[in-house]
Amino acid sequence: MYNPRDIINLIGANVRKSRNPFGIPSSQINTWWREAPGFTRRPGDALLLTGLMYQAIPYIEATTRYLERLEDSRWADYLRFAPLSRYIPSFVVGRGLACLTSRAEKKQFNRILVSMCRLLTQSAADFFYHPEMDFYSGILLYDLGDQEGFVEHAKFVARNLKLHGVQKIITVDPHTTYALKELYPKYTGVSFDVQPYFALLRPHQVSRGNGRPPVAIHDPCFYGRYLKVSEMPRQLLTDLGLPYTEVRNCGEFTSCCGGPAESVSPALNREILDRRVAELKASGAPVVTFCPICLANLLKAGLPVEDLASLLDRNW
Amino acid sequence: MALVNPDFAEELKAFGVDTALECFNCGTCAAICPLIFEHFPRKMIRYVQVGATEKILQQAQELWRCLHCGLCTQTCPRQADPAELILGLRRYVVDRWRRA
Repeated sequence: MYNPRDIINLIGANVRKSRNPFGIPSSQINTWWREAPGFTRRPGDALLLTGLMYQAIPYIEATTRYLERLEDSRWADYLRFAPLSRYIPSFVVGRGLACLTSRAEKKQFNRILVSMCRLLTQSAADFFYHPEMDFYSGILLYDLGDQEGFVEHAKFVARNLKLHGVQKIITVDPHTTYALKELYPKYTGVSFDVQPYFALLRPHQVSRGNGRPPVAIHDPCFYGRYLKVSEMPRQLLTDLGLPYTEVRNCGEFTSCCGGPAESVSPALNREILDRRVAELKASGAPVVTFCPICLANLLKAGLPVEDLASLLDRNW
Repeated sequence: MALVNPDFAEELKAFGVDTALECFNCGTCAAICPLIFEHFPRKMIRYVQVGATEKILQQAQELWRCLHCGLCTQTCPRQADPAELILGLRRYVVDRWRRA
């Protein structure tokens, strides 16, 4: 296990420097919209805010591959010097990190966001997207206990969104949804009307997926327990005639995939992940989930897993 | 021997924790916690109740093993919100580190 103090100092310094946990320009992480012409910069009622979570997964995976190798070694202690990277220009750090991430992985996660946009458009959702207004929510700082850092960042984000007249927000992942819906009103005094993208999807045709083998649903903890919206994705699958099967521990009692431990202890992450994978494998069905952290983690375990948006997009 | 601070649960309110004294130490949280690790989080909650701040600071690293998955809060029969309590303790420890 890494010293949490080193991890908190590093992530806090990165967020202060670049407004994301990696210390690299957000414009380098957030490129998905370039492959999604027609969805950006158009007028609309609600802002699509990805919180940079899906886009960040290839960077998280690249970083944790190294953290995993060095955990509990004598090199782990040197992490305390990592915040010194704030003296290195962010585009240089960005170039370095870009070399460690795979292009295919970036494409894979960017494509999920394109699918979400397509689904929203087909459901006649009135939304707009501006890459410059797509901020990281700061949720990792909150989870790690860096209250001061989280509140400072959240106030920055809330102030900017309010400045642009944003009132309605569509989110794409459970962590950003929780931050904007529950934490921002409490810690910044600013409230938005926040909805996850799947709450706005309206399938026109039913029974498109008839005859398909069932999928097993892995509920993310934040959607299942904290926000209690597990039923919505199930209703969508039912509406599209896509059969699904419940696994042991689902909905409000879903099992954690171990993802939140990734930054402090990749070994602990593996231990929790292995247990959840056994539960999912018992269903014998391919897995569908709706959180980028869960998706990346389950992919790492070699499970046949895909994001809800990809599955819906294919069968819409 | 450990020093205890009976007012600690009160002090923790500044870090967003006001349910520590609701807990009656039934251990449901430790039983359902996916960490299966040394009576976590029950042990930490007990330390809060008796104000064993030295013990908390000595074992502070354990707090960051918590996945914040919320199963303990979901199943707590006393609505003591163990997940939020652990998060509050992290804030307390980070504050101590920064002030040290």
